[in-house]
Amino acid sequence: MGFFNLKGTIRPLTGLKQFGKVPHTIEYPNESKEAAPRYRGFHFNEIEACIGCGNCSTICMNGAIDMISLVEVEGKKGDSGLRPRVDHGRCCWCGLCVEVCPTGSLALTKEYLYVSPDANSFLWTPGVDNPEGKEKISFYSTAESSLTDMTRVPMRELEGMERIKSFAEVVLGYEEEEARKEASRCISCGICTEVCPDHMHIPEYINAIAQADDHSAIKIIYDNNPLPEMCGKVCTRRCEDVCAVQVRGEALAIRWLKRYATERAENAEMIREIVNPEIRESNGKKVGIVGAGPSGLTAAYYLALRGYDVTVYEGRSKGGGMTMYGIPKYRLPLESLEKQIGYMERIGVKIKFNTQVGKDISFEEIYQQYDAVFLGIGFQKGWKLGVPNEEAPGVQPAVDFLVSVNDGQEVKVGKKVVVIGGGNVAIDAARVARRYGAEVSILYRRRVEDMPADWEEIEGAEDEGIHIIAQAIPKQIVVDEHGKLKGFEYIKARMEQDERGGRPRPVPIEGGETFVPADDVMVAIGQEADYSFLPEEFKKNIEISRGRIVADPVTFQTSDPKIFAGGDAVNRTADAISAIANGFNAVKGIDKFLFGKEK
Amino acid sequence: MELHKEKQLLETLQGVFQLKSGEIKRRHRIEVEVEKKDVVPLLLFVKEKLGYKHLSHISCVDWIEEGRFELIYMPWSHQEQILIMVKVSIPRDAAEMENIDMIWRQANTYQRELREMFGIEFPGFVGDYDFILEDWEDIPPMRRDFDTEAYVKDHYFERPGREDAKDVRTEIAKRSGEQIPDFAKKYSR
Repeated sequence: MGFFNLKGTIRPLTGLKQFGKVPHTIEYPNESKEAAPRYRGFHFNEIEACIGCGNCSTICMNGAIDMISLVEVEGKKGDSGLRPRVDHGRCCWCGLCVEVCPTGSLALTKEYLYVSPDANSFLWTPGVDNPEGKEKISFYSTAESSLTDMTRVPMRELEGMERIKSFAEVVLGYEEEEARKEASRCISCGICTEVCPDHMHIPEYINAIAQADDHSAIKIIYDNNPLPEMCGKVCTRRCEDVCAVQVRGEALAIRWLKRYATERAENAEMIREIVNPEIRESNGKKVGIVGAGPSGLTAAYYLALRGYDVTVYEGRSKGGGMTMYGIPKYRLPLESLEKQIGYMERIGVKIKFNTQVGKDISFEEIYQQYDAVFLGIGFQKGWKLGVPNEEAPGVQPAVDFLVSVNDGQEVKVGKKVVVIGGGNVAIDAARVARRYGAEVSILYRRRVEDMPADWEEIEGAEDEGIHIIAQAIPKQIVVDEHGKLKGFEYIKARMEQDERGGRPRPVPIEGGETFVPADDVMVAIGQEADYSFLPEEFKKNIEISRGRIVADPVTFQTSDPKIFAGGDAVNRTADAISAIANGFNAVKGIDKFLFGKEK
Repeated sequence: MELHKEKQLLETLQGVFQLKSGEIKRRHRIEVEVEKKDVVPLLLFVKEKLGYKHLSHISCVDWIEEGRFELIYMPWSHQEQILIMVKVSIPRDAAEMENIDMIWRQANTYQRELREMFGIEFPGFVGDYDFILEDWEDIPPMRRDFDTEAYVKDHYFERPGREDAKDVRTEIAKRSGEQIPDFAKKYSR
């Protein structure tokens, strides 16, 4: 109370306690604080890692993401060549695009400040327009956190030692639930379709399976592949190598899904009912086809649908060519192929079995009788090894061995078998010999990882107790004084880098000669075509280069305009799906040749 | 790490209520699922008896395939340092839930949001209908059957300069010469 207030005088002085402390002031010029480490700002896309699958664009509920061509990105196999561009005026930073990105190239950054009077400048190509974003990534997906399911539904198989007791099919196939689950992993980008030689409509049929519409899946599959069940079991499936999911996880089991769908049609009649193809009225033209392998049958099927009168000449008693006679039955059962061929016969393809062209009917006759001829003769003759004593009894091409087994002939397999080669034929022969109770070794010049055979086949062989001897250069076949086969001698090799940048070469190690005893030697180092059925004048007309028939890559017409060709004897990839693609395209070529345009 | 406190809490709740499920998610966090009738008693119990004074949030998930909404109430205790996630499922059609804004006042805000975004009604609850959206006449936008993309296409114009956008599937098919038949296109992306 009173005039003098002590408190009022002293209290301001308490401020002195702050004396000497660092002042709490704002810096000038004002610097904005860095955003929190997990702040979701502008997008950043690693242009090199992106494969242009467009999953981000599809998921965006705001329609903010476009896929566009960039000058610096060129489309190639496994890359659509397109990259995402974001309209930041629409983005709501939900980050779904990041979470579904299969490659993990797309991320969000901490940057969130952008001011411009020009509204159109909010269109950005992440990674191109903000390269500095790479240092500021805040929100990204890992293989674990990604919404893309990276793990394949495992395929059930017979156990290794159980398999060698019989020729029962090893792969058991997906159950319905497994197939739906596996199919729903697909992001439907379609990048796989480009590497498929036949450009099958993969995302469409997988999507149909995912949506429990197996009949549509079958119909879509048969649109450009009349032997899909065979492909579903044994295709080389290059599609799976470029699958968008494969970048960070396990590729879609495209082959097994095709197998699942096609197996829903249990017999030829069911296939016909489901596919229900439109068969055009007869156009009065006749086409003769030599060889009922994949390419010949494919051409026959689609020609028949287009109203042609088609006859296929096949030397053996069954159709399917090498897929019937070269592939062991534990991979591709007999009934499966017969069902598909039965379906073709139902829609009007005529197949003359046991009619070898050049023996039972001359090529000349076929040439005269038909308006066009398609050659699908394949590679049937095994190459020789070119080492001493190759003529000894017990030495044979692996492909001949497989053919005799598949033909139901009686074969004798010794106790110890040596197979030379590293491709699928070598592995097939080895696994078949194993089923006859033999102890089998595979000799291969290079390393196991260099083997051209499918890795599952190699693993399968090892599971079944087949011994793989890698880096073994064949030296000679060893026989005793009576000319009887004793074994095989090879030289151990070390791998040397190829100066010209090719794959590493095997170089013999001095003194590395090793002997393996063998009762049978099977050679699987490659095959070639047998042109002996062609009369001389045709051999002159049809250009053959390095053992292959030269055909137009689009129409598959040979240098004789009336003759078309496809399959192993034409293409370099030498697999069933390429043969099917050749047959499919030759149909368009034949259409063009006979009617001047594709009908 | 000892989860002593969490275990004890879960056991207490299991003793008092019939939980459909109960799980320790990690340190500081347990998750229980209860019937709709047990939600309010449980929330009152943890608040009044166990000291879970703070309601962090009420969240909602639309399980459209199963025809239910899942509401998640999250009370938190500063003393115990535990967040309880109380899950309850309510049918999706005629979605209705007890009002709890007399237990926690902030529930008022959350319930207004849930009403607007998911269309869940809270009988007896007083609060403005407009929350974030204005004059909304469509179905509640956080329901999964609301087609955001169609709404966006309908309501906003495309910025000029976006005409060069391409479709990945078409682009690849064009490059490889693949002809996708019409009957297959409904299964294209």
